[in-house]
Amino acid sequence: MTLARDDLAVMPAAAPARWTFDAKALIAVPGLVFMALAFAVPVLMLVGDSFVDRDGFSLAGYRKVLGDPYYIGIIGNSLQLACITTAVCLAVGYPAAWALARIRGAWQVILFALIFLPLTVSIVVKTFGLTIMMRRDGIINFLLVNLGFIERPMRLVFTEFSLYFGMVNVFLPFMILPLYSVMRMLDPRLLDASASLGAGPVHTFLRVTLPLTMPGIIAGGTLVFSISVAAYVTPGLLVGDRFMTMSQVMAKAYLNIRDFQLGASMAVIMLVISAALILASSYLVRTPGGERR
Amino acid sequence: MALFGSLFCRLVLGLVIAFLFLPILIVLTVSFSSSAVFAFPPPGFSLRWYASLGKADSMLQAVWLSTQIAALSTAISLVLGTLCAIAITRGMIPGAKAVATFMASPLMLPGLVLGIAFLQAARDFGLRDTYSTLLIAHVVITMPFIMRTVLASLSLFDFAMVDAARMLGRSYPAALWTVLVPNILPGFVSGGLFAFIASFDNYPVSIFLVDVRTKTLPIQLLNQVEMSPDPTVAAISALLILGTIAALIVCDRLVGLKRMASI
Amino acid sequence: MSQQATALPPAAEAQHEPGYLAVSNVTKRFGAATVLDSLSLSVGRAEFVSLLGPSGCGKTTLLRLIAGLLAPDQGAIEVGGRDLTRVAAHRRNIGVVFQNYALFPHLTVAENIAYGLRAKGVPKGEQAKKVADALGLVRMEAFADRAVTALSGGQQQRIAVARAVVVEPSLLLLDEPFSALDRKLRETMQIELRHILRNLGITSIFVTHDQDEALVMSDRIAVMNEGRIEHLGTPSEVYARPKSLYTMEFVGQSSRIGGVVTGGRDGIVEIDTPFGLVRAPGHFLTGSKVVVGVRPEAIAAGEGPAGEYNTVRGTVAEVIYFGSRTLLHFRTAREGDRLHVELNRLPDTVAPGVEMTVRWRLDDSRVFPAPGGADR
Repeated sequence: MTLARDDLAVMPAAAPARWTFDAKALIAVPGLVFMALAFAVPVLMLVGDSFVDRDGFSLAGYRKVLGDPYYIGIIGNSLQLACITTAVCLAVGYPAAWALARIRGAWQVILFALIFLPLTVSIVVKTFGLTIMMRRDGIINFLLVNLGFIERPMRLVFTEFSLYFGMVNVFLPFMILPLYSVMRMLDPRLLDASASLGAGPVHTFLRVTLPLTMPGIIAGGTLVFSISVAAYVTPGLLVGDRFMTMSQVMAKAYLNIRDFQLGASMAVIMLVISAALILASSYLVRTPGGERR
Repeated sequence: MALFGSLFCRLVLGLVIAFLFLPILIVLTVSFSSSAVFAFPPPGFSLRWYASLGKADSMLQAVWLSTQIAALSTAISLVLGTLCAIAITRGMIPGAKAVATFMASPLMLPGLVLGIAFLQAARDFGLRDTYSTLLIAHVVITMPFIMRTVLASLSLFDFAMVDAARMLGRSYPAALWTVLVPNILPGFVSGGLFAFIASFDNYPVSIFLVDVRTKTLPIQLLNQVEMSPDPTVAAISALLILGTIAALIVCDRLVGLKRMASI
Repeated sequence: MSQQATALPPAAEAQHEPGYLAVSNVTKRFGAATVLDSLSLSVGRAEFVSLLGPSGCGKTTLLRLIAGLLAPDQGAIEVGGRDLTRVAAHRRNIGVVFQNYALFPHLTVAENIAYGLRAKGVPKGEQAKKVADALGLVRMEAFADRAVTALSGGQQQRIAVARAVVVEPSLLLLDEPFSALDRKLRETMQIELRHILRNLGITSIFVTHDQDEALVMSDRIAVMNEGRIEHLGTPSEVYARPKSLYTMEFVGQSSRIGGVVTGGRDGIVEIDTPFGLVRAPGHFLTGSKVVVGVRPEAIAAGEGPAGEYNTVRGTVAEVIYFGSRTLLHFRTAREGDRLHVELNRLPDTVAPGVEMTVRWRLDDSRVFPAPGGADR
């Protein structure tokens, strides 16, 4: 479960510019030492592990991953999964967030809660629900047959349709919430102003609405992309081995085939993708026209 | 505005909500089904799967373990994270901005990567106890949630109040406890709730750290879904959903849902 | 001086016992910046002393050092003969009224006031009585159970004062307590607060950047500049006989004319200025560059007897009408010079562009070395 991490960290409001030692600063020590030992050290060790094998320094892990079309294909699968999921979430989430931001009063609170609530339900539980839906005797086939789209139930489980259906279902709120928080701040008079200046709806959307909501698109897009590229539970249950992703390979490398260097190399590649994405998005958000809030 | 005619947008919003609730409602429906298969529509109503929960020992053990780990890791993060956030907000330490980003960064990393890192480090450090390994890893998982909400709350807190309490005869720690803590309680509640949920639901980190006898709930659930899916899983899932809703309502009464979500 | 009976400590003698608060050679640095430079200050018992200066002059730092919220790099701080330099803030028994009052929003008015009493372990029954007395002192009896967030700015300030004095502190520090109030309310609260504190006989240090506040409230004013005290004196001393150009300019309005000393005797120097020869009391070497300062209200229209008065002639540049008085700005030939004249009654002929003769007494002139070194 992750929340909108649109701003990478909430920054302290007014930290004095000058720093002099203050004994009270010692209160930060337990937390910092803990995070250094339990978080920074393991991650750095993992990066180190990807460069060693039994004989010392080695790039074998990377050579294996980046030199083998099979693993390249898997990296491609992960990126494809993340791209399509993000695109669909944006296409569906944008109008939904817009409606949510424009509705006022009690309805806004209720609808907001309804978008928010699924986020707090365990991903395992939701994916379990999705697998039940996708069964031959599940609700999707039931609806399709009864509405006359198909004559007899078809196989949905372990298809790419069920994968994307599930991914969007699980990650859509992560797109809507950042979009909503930006759209809510948007002054509707700007749109009226644009219309009063003779701009048509398409022009107003492209020149006013879209640029002003860009920070939300970037935040939501980064968020959905970075969690769907690393998704494990949902693809695992919905398509399994038919659609291998980097996460699947990493888990297998450690839990089944015990090829730690392979797993570590894959993990570092994923780390690099995530880091690149976060840096790119914070760069985009800071450039003029995409200013924060 | 006209392009995104408000009617069209509202229709999309309605469909989105229905779509998001679909799997959740399915799980709830199935848990009350009289049949052991997941046919739709369900043939009849029954509470037998809830009754059978009492016998699902491994499931109940997993619930208990996850509750303990989530509660303890949230509590530890609250204490360590709040102290750190105070030092960051007051500029007591150099590079406060970088420190804040560091403390919140586990949220930015893929869960599996973290899990693998913990697994390797636990091996290298010779930490064999599953329970403590899980706990340490979950403190790392929960820390960003606490940092974000507490930093946000502290940015609105007037630290002159702490000075005022000191001048009125309270030591620095006592001033923090009697003035700062009650005033940023909403931040603690919302940050704590999300930290708890994040730990309770965590799969990708825990999967590398559990052993045969010590399994957290998401691991146990997924095992069951993969091995022998039956409506017992739906029943426990339904209870989880209801528990989450209950927790959200309680926290909403305490601090307001909007405030919790806008972290 | 004290006519009003209160349940709190009785009024002290009007005579201030010297050295009740003794700040000796205190230095405070933040990194490379020296905020206070070997500063000393002595305040008598029951005295009300203002620290007056612009932001960044070190007045708030000095206040926080006295409170114990900061530690000095060098020097000592004593209150009532007790060395507090190494004593923790919460053991100093010093009351503070903070700029934005720092009331505790999670407590009611009465609970806010009782906070310090609880911290000191005062028995419950006694607490209630003291809280009631303190509320009476600030005339807020009816508000005991209100939330502090529901109070107006002026009411919050009263509660902040009540909370600070209820524990009977040995010293009260006030950090710009009026800055959050609007102008009208500020004037009322100044007089009321001074009245309360005088009756309590409590020694008070008051930080402000507002000269009017300092003049109205204080027994003495310490004018601060760049970590030092420029002038410590009663309000009338600081206003009428400023020891430095800085003090003269910071406190009240002033006219200033630059010039060069051409001679002098018997404690009177003659200065060549763009407005002609001006004489003023002082001792400067011939050739020194100086600035003559005069308060605008000390200048009158028309000529005066040559032995006692300076008389200059100038052109009116602007006429600013305030109702009870009128301010005239004269044209000046040199950058930095300023001839402002405040008149209660305006001659009918005065308008911008009109030439006019004005005079002021030699005794009302102050002479200071020109800023940036006397000989340039």
